[in-house]
Amino acid sequence: MFYRVNMGTLTVTKEAGDQYQGLGGRALSSKLVETEVDPTAHPLGEKNKLIFATSLLSGTGAPNGGRMSLGAKSPLTEGIKESNVGGAMGMKLGRLGVRGIIFEGLPQKDSCYVVKVSADGVVVEEMPQIKGLDIYAAVAKMQEKYGEKVAIACIGTAGENKMAAACVGFTDMEGAPTRQAGRGGLGAVMGSKGIKAVVVDDSGAEKLVFADEAAYRAGAKKLANALMAHPVTSQALPAYGTDVLVNILSEAGGLPTRSFSSGRFEGANDIGGETMAAVNKERGGKSGHGCSPGCMIRCSNIYKDKKGAVLTGGFEYESVWSLGANLGINDLDDVAMMNRLCDDYGVDTIDMGVALGIAMEAGLAKFGDGKAAIALLQEVGKASPLGRILGAGAAITGKVFGMRRVAAVKGQAIPAYDPRAVKGQGVTYATSPMGADHTAGYAVATNILSVGGKVDPLGAEGQVDLSRNLQIATAFVDSTGLCLFVAFAILDIAEGLEGIVEMCNARYGWNKSVDEYLEMGKQLLREERLFNKKAGIAEGSDDLPDFFRTEKLPPHNTVFDIPKEELNKVFNF
Amino acid sequence: MSTGKQAIEIRFFMFLAELCKERGWTSPMSLEIGQDITGDELLARLDIPAERVEVLLVNGKAVWPSAALIQPGDRVALLPPGTPGPYRVLLGFKKLN
Ligand code: SF4
Repeated sequence: MFYRVNMGTLTVTKEAGDQYQGLGGRALSSKLVETEVDPTAHPLGEKNKLIFATSLLSGTGAPNGGRMSLGAKSPLTEGIKESNVGGAMGMKLGRLGVRGIIFEGLPQKDSCYVVKVSADGVVVEEMPQIKGLDIYAAVAKMQEKYGEKVAIACIGTAGENKMAAACVGFTDMEGAPTRQAGRGGLGAVMGSKGIKAVVVDDSGAEKLVFADEAAYRAGAKKLANALMAHPVTSQALPAYGTDVLVNILSEAGGLPTRSFSSGRFEGANDIGGETMAAVNKERGGKSGHGCSPGCMIRCSNIYKDKKGAVLTGGFEYESVWSLGANLGINDLDDVAMMNRLCDDYGVDTIDMGVALGIAMEAGLAKFGDGKAAIALLQEVGKASPLGRILGAGAAITGKVFGMRRVAAVKGQAIPAYDPRAVKGQGVTYATSPMGADHTAGYAVATNILSVGGKVDPLGAEGQVDLSRNLQIATAFVDSTGLCLFVAFAILDIAEGLEGIVEMCNARYGWNKSVDEYLEMGKQLLREERLFNKKAGIAEGSDDLPDFFRTEKLPPHNTVFDIPKEELNKVFNF
Repeated sequence: MSTGKQAIEIRFFMFLAELCKERGWTSPMSLEIGQDITGDELLARLDIPAERVEVLLVNGKAVWPSAALIQPGDRVALLPPGTPGPYRVLLGFKKLN
């Protein structure tokens, strides 16, 4: 069932949405955007729509199956945007039988609305007392009103002020807003519609009906077994979280340091997963925290300050990189404080960190000065003119300060893997319809890849094929509602992927093959690209900023050298 | 162990960082090798079982221990199985057929 919430008239209608049969997650949110949003619409205008979509396995409690997808035309990239998020909401919406919510129109007055979803339907309520509050404070007020058990999606100062890098914060299983639909400025779209928060209460939900429950359980067991057997998902991620990648990427020469001027950070170990795990142990924080129901991998964490008070959670590799290594900062407490501020103001940590790096290069603060970086970030919270510039993301910040080295594609900042040293990732940054996005090419499963031999990360060969296959497989996994990290296990254990396909089939009574699911991934990518084309994003923008092609990255001293014609071949399918 | 010219610099990551601590080593640690050695020889010298190491990064490039040749002056990192995600593919740890 779909709900359509019109913020102009404050009315809600219910629809069956038969035309969206068989779609979930990113495939569903992108389809809705593509069908319902005029590609030339202003992202903050009346004609843009914000989509909340659940996934094929939402509500089932599948291993790591709790994710959902947000979609809209992005104020950051001006193209189609899907932002995938964990937390508690996906499961609850799934249990309520909600496949999608379409928020449309613009409010007639400047108020502050909360949209409440429950077994009784959807209502729009005014809640002026939370206007202007940071996310943690607003969430606490809503928990007083709606109870501790609800799932909440909320915007902060950045979203209310329609900053182009604003995110939407989601509560985790403990009710802390540590998970973000981070990228592409969807918080600003939500702000433009006057929606401060969406609250979901699933009490009284009816039991989910499976087409074939026994087959579903058998499939779920296969995936669970793969996740438990694999060293990445069963040991490394719970112990160290994704932050374990800091030391690895730095050693491999691909950790962008001081605004993409080196691939190796001498302070990597100070902010890496090994150190974070030790700090969590010492201060009574937590490693091995699951962000959403059914998570068996538990890559998330709760990070405490020196006095033992909770400072932040969901403290991930990309954020540690953007607010740490990328700024030359090796003090993990300073980086954690910045992560907390980003989550509280509701701004994407990746675009924010890259914007701060550009500001530092422009002379607003010195690389390595954590306190100065925190002060700059606080400007975002105040929505001062400087804060609004930074909060508009890396590309705008670069323009305002007249900088030449701006690591962004289609207006969205490049994340934590330097494309000169991890070239396959570079191809994905250049070509993804989402703008530079590290998760666009995340899912990898040997049995659905056809890349011959071993890929040399520093060489040009094989990278386009690799990126293509990664993007297609990812588009599929993104649609199931499974956390992309299951891909770590299905890469090596073929049974895992079988399990996923069997679960989806058994949930709905389908008989689709892996290839058919992958075809859904391909179709999705085609449609997203078509939207971008109609939105005026030229094919020529499928490339990296030129400094990656001319400026050598130490220590390997390589440039990004995959010819543009080769990049165009990514979408040869 | 010394820091002489014939030495290599070794780093230990993830579970191997814990092993390194247990044994009272430092990371980075300097190890005198005198002459070129293979990755397997290095692991034997360190008394680390082969199954605890997925890949070595020798001067920042991924190589399997059996294929690695380490020379004095090299910078080597030891990675156990557990590097998440597509990075085992993107960084060339894993071969795809
Ligand atoms: S593996 Fe990490 S991101 Fe995925 S569901 Fe679990 S805690 Fe969340």
